[in-house]
Amino acid sequence: MILDLHTHSIKSDDGRARVETYCGWIRKRELQIEGFVLTEHRQFDDESDYRPLEHEFGLRILKGSEVETDYGHVLVFGVNDRMRAAFDFADIDLPLGLVLEEAKRCGGVAVPCHPGRPRVGMCAHFAERGAVDGVRVIETRNGGSRNGEDAAALALAEKFGYRGIGGSDAHLVSQIGRCATRFEGAIRNEDDLVRAIRSGKFEAIRWT
Amino acid sequence: MDVEAIKKNWLNREFDVAEFPITQERILAYVHACGETDPRFSDPEHPEFQAPPTFTAQYVGRRILPRDFPMLGFRGFDAGKTVVLHGPARPGDTLFAHSKIADAYEKTGRSGRMVFLVHRMEFVNQKDERVSTVDWRMVRQPDQEPEKREK
Repeated sequence: MILDLHTHSIKSDDGRARVETYCGWIRKRELQIEGFVLTEHRQFDDESDYRPLEHEFGLRILKGSEVETDYGHVLVFGVNDRMRAAFDFADIDLPLGLVLEEAKRCGGVAVPCHPGRPRVGMCAHFAERGAVDGVRVIETRNGGSRNGEDAAALALAEKFGYRGIGGSDAHLVSQIGRCATRFEGAIRNEDDLVRAIRSGKFEAIRWT
Repeated sequence: MDVEAIKKNWLNREFDVAEFPITQERILAYVHACGETDPRFSDPEHPEFQAPPTFTAQYVGRRILPRDFPMLGFRGFDAGKTVVLHGPARPGDTLFAHSKIADAYEKTGRSGRMVFLVHRMEFVNQKDERVSTVDWRMVRQPDQEPEKREK
């Protein structure tokens, strides 16, 4: 199953795409992704119910979050009440170690995203302050990366033995599906997604 | 000053009211600048002639921020406006824009730490009917050095 693991809707302050419009675009453009994960900035959207859209468009629509840490931005999957109580999603100075540990303890998984990006990626912080224990997976393919950013992420993954996921980081409709992650089996819900990411059995994909 | 202090001390306090008379000429100039062709907005003879939905986004009040508002660094930029339309503005109306800071939040990006301030202008007409809400997001970069200008 192929999912875009990093997208933003109008629920994010800088998102300009409605979820329904993403769905329509995926079908109209016959994109290869079979669903996507909404990773709204610094929050978890527990209000929206996208099941009717899943049925209407035959797509999987899951929810996670993108939080901000002292080592850059991090995607968290498998968000639940315990995780939301464990750290403040709106805090922009969360310790990366805390997010990794608490996400795992609460049954989820944390994945540093766009690590090659200046200031908000992990590479620059690793170079200055050293590596952080607990990282297993990073985003090696990001649809918003500029020249050299994904290459830096891939080099980091190779150096430390990290697995790599892909996500478009879409904020606009036409950006969805630029990058994605191919899993071996079906992903029916957030728990399946966490298990699949923890298993390491996936690959990051980029379409040009 | 951190964002929590801004929220505590400055949020939702009206700091300006500005008055804007609406004229046919002003509407047509805006419509021309936007390339708008819908006759409701471009033809004064149309029975429903009125200003287009984004019309009030062009206005700035007498103050951008409240008096004595903290500087929050030397650099910043415009992060755009959103408009929610509540009712029409027509020639002959007078709009009153009530300004306040509606939200403040932080985020990080390629350029570093940013503080977003949401300047909200609530437009009402002379009958006190709501016309539009315009949210103007302004970004301040507290950690950035001032830009050096060449003489």
